[in-house]
Amino acid sequence: MYGGGNTFEGIKTDTLAQEDPVKLAEFEARIERGEKIEPTDWMPQLYRKQLIRMIEQHAHSEIIGALPEGTWITRAPGFKRKLSLMAKVQDEVGHAQLLYSAAETLGKSREQMITDLITGKSKYSNIFNYPAFTWADSCFISWLVDAGAIVNQLANAKGSYGPYCRALDRICAEESFHLKYGHHCVIYLAAGTEKQRQMFQEAINRWWAPMMHFFGPSDKISAHTEVLMRWKVKMASNDDMRNQFLDMYVPKIWELGFTIPDPNLKKNPDSGRWEYTEPDWEEFKRVINGYGPCNKERLEVRRIAEERGRWVREALKKPSAAYVTPLA
Amino acid sequence: MKSLDPRVNRLPKVGHPGQVEPKAPLDQLGTFEVFVQAKEGKPFQHEGIVHAPDLEMAFVLAKEAFTRRFTCVSLYVADTRHVYVSAMTEGNTSAWDFINLIEQQPGNKDSYEIYYLLRRGKQHQHAGTVQAAIPAEAMSEAKKLYGTKLVYNVWAIRTADIRFTSPEEKELWLTLPEKKFRDASDYKGGDKLKEFLERTKV
Repeated sequence: MYGGGNTFEGIKTDTLAQEDPVKLAEFEARIERGEKIEPTDWMPQLYRKQLIRMIEQHAHSEIIGALPEGTWITRAPGFKRKLSLMAKVQDEVGHAQLLYSAAETLGKSREQMITDLITGKSKYSNIFNYPAFTWADSCFISWLVDAGAIVNQLANAKGSYGPYCRALDRICAEESFHLKYGHHCVIYLAAGTEKQRQMFQEAINRWWAPMMHFFGPSDKISAHTEVLMRWKVKMASNDDMRNQFLDMYVPKIWELGFTIPDPNLKKNPDSGRWEYTEPDWEEFKRVINGYGPCNKERLEVRRIAEERGRWVREALKKPSAAYVTPLA
Repeated sequence: MKSLDPRVNRLPKVGHPGQVEPKAPLDQLGTFEVFVQAKEGKPFQHEGIVHAPDLEMAFVLAKEAFTRRFTCVSLYVADTRHVYVSAMTEGNTSAWDFINLIEQQPGNKDSYEIYYLLRRGKQHQHAGTVQAAIPAEAMSEAKKLYGTKLVYNVWAIRTADIRFTSPEEKELWLTLPEKKFRDASDYKGGDKLKEFLERTKV
């Protein structure tokens, strides 16, 4: 699972002018050669800041993303589905652990990241601020939201920061199970009774708009985007990733006899690109700023979990403990 | 807070909604480096870190975080503070160039595990074991043994500071062959899909 459409802070490119030009040139040459940047290497402040932001958002998305699906563990149809969903949710939380660790190597403590999540300072993927009404919603998330995440993560795994890439390689390997599991669940609904088919159709109708939002608004071609792409922080434009997702999964949804609630959705045979109704970006902004249907609930569940676990952490804490930045 | 999830509605009221105290330093405990052996006879490789209160808990959490899918035969952990680290280099510059050869040190010798980074972007690998009285001597001894190899980073950890997997614990990774629900291969929907497509063909 993953939050696509990262929000990058608009940073003035003149911050680059303050960097040592010789070191900056060496840094860029290393990325150009396809080498990874490691935690102890010199890096521009802008690179460090944007990576922390991106990896942290990704980690928060894994944690919050486990909530709408976790809701369905006790009500999943049958023992096998319960086992599978539990394993999947455990994976997502495990991914968050790997990602927090990768962000920590850049110098932000886990305590600060968790505080920033709960206070609403840090963002996470918008799509998890919507409720999972039925079992079919949970299937939509497992199959299609994870599919979107994989498009995003496979691109990012070719990025320039070593610890993030290594975490992503591990995560992508586990996502293949999520995708197969999700597709399996959906095939069973599609081949089931009229009522089951209707349930999944309604899930598509509810989730299509958030799914289109998932990859983020069209990237404006700015000096800022250009520098992040040159440094291999951002690996593909939001539109390209959305197009790749549509290309891979719209035919699979149609194959099962379902419809997609966008009359303008079609592949342009000349350009090979998908055309669709422009998603409502005002809605996207509203939800990202905290006014979606579940934002408050998600953060409140996190806050209570942290509060309730406090005594355990206090009891475990050793007086001799001291923090050092993890190595790789 | 009114949720669709009855378990969320049942959560006890703790503190004040929306009010968060910033976390205190070390609320998330210290970090431990995790090393995994993929197959018998293969060298251990660094995989990442876990946060834990002590070595023993680090071992348990590392098993959960890194070996959920029978990807290993053994793992071990060490406190990040107990890892002695060389300079990081690149290109044709070897990390050994920044490690001094030193004289035999007085005092009792301990054994140290040595790890090196053979390719940037990859993970540190176990190289072997040396005997030394202090970490700097362990690095020096490692240079004598492996100094001809081009490596980009070297780590040394005192063997006594590592929590290893005991032979009896190896069965942690033995699982019944029919328990495959974590594997993508256990979710074959092809036949069901084919049957559905044939049934609904117009």
